[in-house]
Amino acid sequence: MTALLTMKNLRGGYGDSDILFDLSIEVAKGEIVAIVGPNGAGKSTAMKSIFGLLDIRAGSIAIGETDITGWAPNRIVKAGICYVPQVKNIFSEMTVHENFEMGAFLRKGDYSAALDRVYNLFPDLRTKQKATAGRLSGGQRQMVAMGRALMLDPQVLLLDEPTAGLSPKYMEQIFQISRDVRDSGVAILLVEQHAKQALAFADRGYVLAAGRNRHEGPASELLADRHIAEMFLGG
Amino acid sequence: MDMHSFINFFLLPGIVQGSIYALGAIGITLVFAIMRYGHFAHGDLATFGAFIALAFTTVLGLSPYAALPLAVLATGVFAVALDRLFYAHLRAMPKIITTIASFGVALMLRSFVQVVWGVNTTSYTRGITRPENWFGIRVKSHEIVTLLVAIALVVALHLFLTRNKWGKAMRAMSDNPELALFSGVDNGKVIALTWIIAGGLCAASGFFLGLNTELKSLMGWNILLPTFAAAILGGVGRIEGAIVGGLIVGIAEELSVLVIPGEYKVMSAFGILLLVLLFRPTGLFRGKVL
Ligand SMILES: Nc1ncnc2c1ncn2[C@@H]1O[C@H](COP(=O)(O)OP(=O)(O)OP(=O)(O)O)[C@@H](O)[C@H]1O
Ligand SMILES: [Mg+2]
Repeated sequence: MTALLTMKNLRGGYGDSDILFDLSIEVAKGEIVAIVGPNGAGKSTAMKSIFGLLDIRAGSIAIGETDITGWAPNRIVKAGICYVPQVKNIFSEMTVHENFEMGAFLRKGDYSAALDRVYNLFPDLRTKQKATAGRLSGGQRQMVAMGRALMLDPQVLLLDEPTAGLSPKYMEQIFQISRDVRDSGVAILLVEQHAKQALAFADRGYVLAAGRNRHEGPASELLADRHIAEMFLGG
Repeated sequence: MDMHSFINFFLLPGIVQGSIYALGAIGITLVFAIMRYGHFAHGDLATFGAFIALAFTTVLGLSPYAALPLAVLATGVFAVALDRLFYAHLRAMPKIITTIASFGVALMLRSFVQVVWGVNTTSYTRGITRPENWFGIRVKSHEIVTLLVAIALVVALHLFLTRNKWGKAMRAMSDNPELALFSGVDNGKVIALTWIIAGGLCAASGFFLGLNTELKSLMGWNILLPTFAAAILGGVGRIEGAIVGGLIVGIAEELSVLVIPGEYKVMSAFGILLLVLLFRPTGLFRGKVL
C-alpha cells in the first residue's frame, strides 16, 4: 500500500503550547481512515495541521511525493485536499447553490458535471438550491458542507465529525455517501465522536490520545480489541 | 407645511445627502465585512477623491462628469496602495491597531490635500445652477445626476456581488473567512478588490458632496460621523443596510432643522448612532457587532 496522504512525526500547536507531540497518520487512495480518541485528544488539531492552521515544529506532511508542510491553504486545495471542518463548515448566508459554486472556485471552465454529481449524492438538496444554507436542518447543512468539499473532485477528503449531532438516519446516510466517494477512488480521513460506529464502517483506524498515536490498525481489529474498547470506545 | 415644500426643502435634499452618505457607508461596511476593522480614513479618502476629480477638470480640462469615472478609478487604485503600505503588515495583529493606524492615514491624507490644493473652499463649476421645476417639485440637475449615479453604482455592485465569481468570493470571505480559504480563495486578491470598490465608491461620495456643496479639505472629515452612523444603523457588513442607513441619516439631518438650529444638524447623526449602539447594536439588518 502506498500512502497518498502522509503525516509523519508531527509536533506542533497553537502559539507556544504544543498539542500534537508525535503524530503519524497515513491514508491511501480508496480507503477510509478514522481517527478516534477522547475529547481534546487533538483530533481536529491533526486535521488543521494539514491546512497550515497551526505552528508545526517538527515532522512533515506530504501528498504523494510532494511535501506540503507549511503551504498556504489555496495551494493545498489545488494539490487536491479538501476539508470539511467540525464547525462553521458552510457559508451560512449564501444559498446552497452558491456554497457549491464556492466549492468549485478553483475549477476552470464548466463544472456542471461536478455539480450534477453532488446533487446526485445529495438528492434532498436539489429542491433547496436557492435556500439560504444557514436555514437548513442540521443534516442538510452537513450535506452542503460535504457537497462543497466534493466540488473539486479532491484526491483526499478530510471530514471532521461529519455526523456530530445528526440522527441515526442521517448518520447512516453520511456514512453511505462516504463509502460511495471512497469507491470512486478518493482517500478519506475522518474524525469521529461516535467511535464504534466509525470503526465499524472505516477501513483502518487510529486511536489518538494526548496528541500521540496510541493504537492503529485495521478498523475491525481495533474494534475487536477488548483493551481499546474499555479505554477508548466506552466499554 | 404643504407637500411641495416638504419635498423640496427636506425630503429631496435629505435623499441627495443620504445617497452621499450611503456611498461612503457601503465602503465602510465592505472593509469591515472583509477585514473586520473600522476604517476611519474613509472621510479623508473621500476628500482625496473629490480633489483628484478637481485635478482632472483643471489639468485635463474635463467636465466634472467626465472627471468622475477617472477619479473613481484612481482613488480605487490609490486605496489598494494605501492598504499595501499602511494596513497590510498589521493584518495579523489585533484589529484595533489598524483602526488607530487608519486615523493616522486620515491625517496624512488631509495634510496632503491641504498642501496640494490649499485650505480655501473651491468648486467644480462657477455660477449658480437654477433648479428645474417639475409640477412644483424643484430639483437641480446635479441632484438628479447624484441620485442616478448612486443608484447605478449600487445596482452594479449588487450584480457584481451576486453574479460574478470574485463578487461571490467577497461574500464568502465576509461570511466565513476560514472556509473561503479552504475553498481556495486567495484572500490577498479579495482584499485588493475590496479596496478598489470601497475606494471608488468613496471617491464618488466625495465628488457628489463637492458637486452639491463645495470642496474643502475638511469636507470628508465632516461627513465621517454621519457615514459611520449610516453603516452602523444599517448593520455593519450589510450593503442594503448601508444604503437604507445613509438615506435615513440624510433625511433625519434635514428634518432635524425643524427642531434644532441648522448648525447642529450633525447632532442628529450622533443621536442616531447613540440610539443604535444602545438599543440595537446589530443595526436594522442584523449586521456584525463592532
Ligand atoms: N484555536 C485554538 N487555539 C488554542 N488551543 C486550541 C485551539 N483549538 C483547540 N485547542 C486546544 O487543543 C486541544 C485539542 O483540541 P482539538 O480540538 O484538536 O481536540 P479534539 O480531539 O478534536 O476534541 P473534540 O472531540 O472535542 O472535537 C484542546 O486542549 C483545545 O483546547
Ligand atoms: Mg474536534
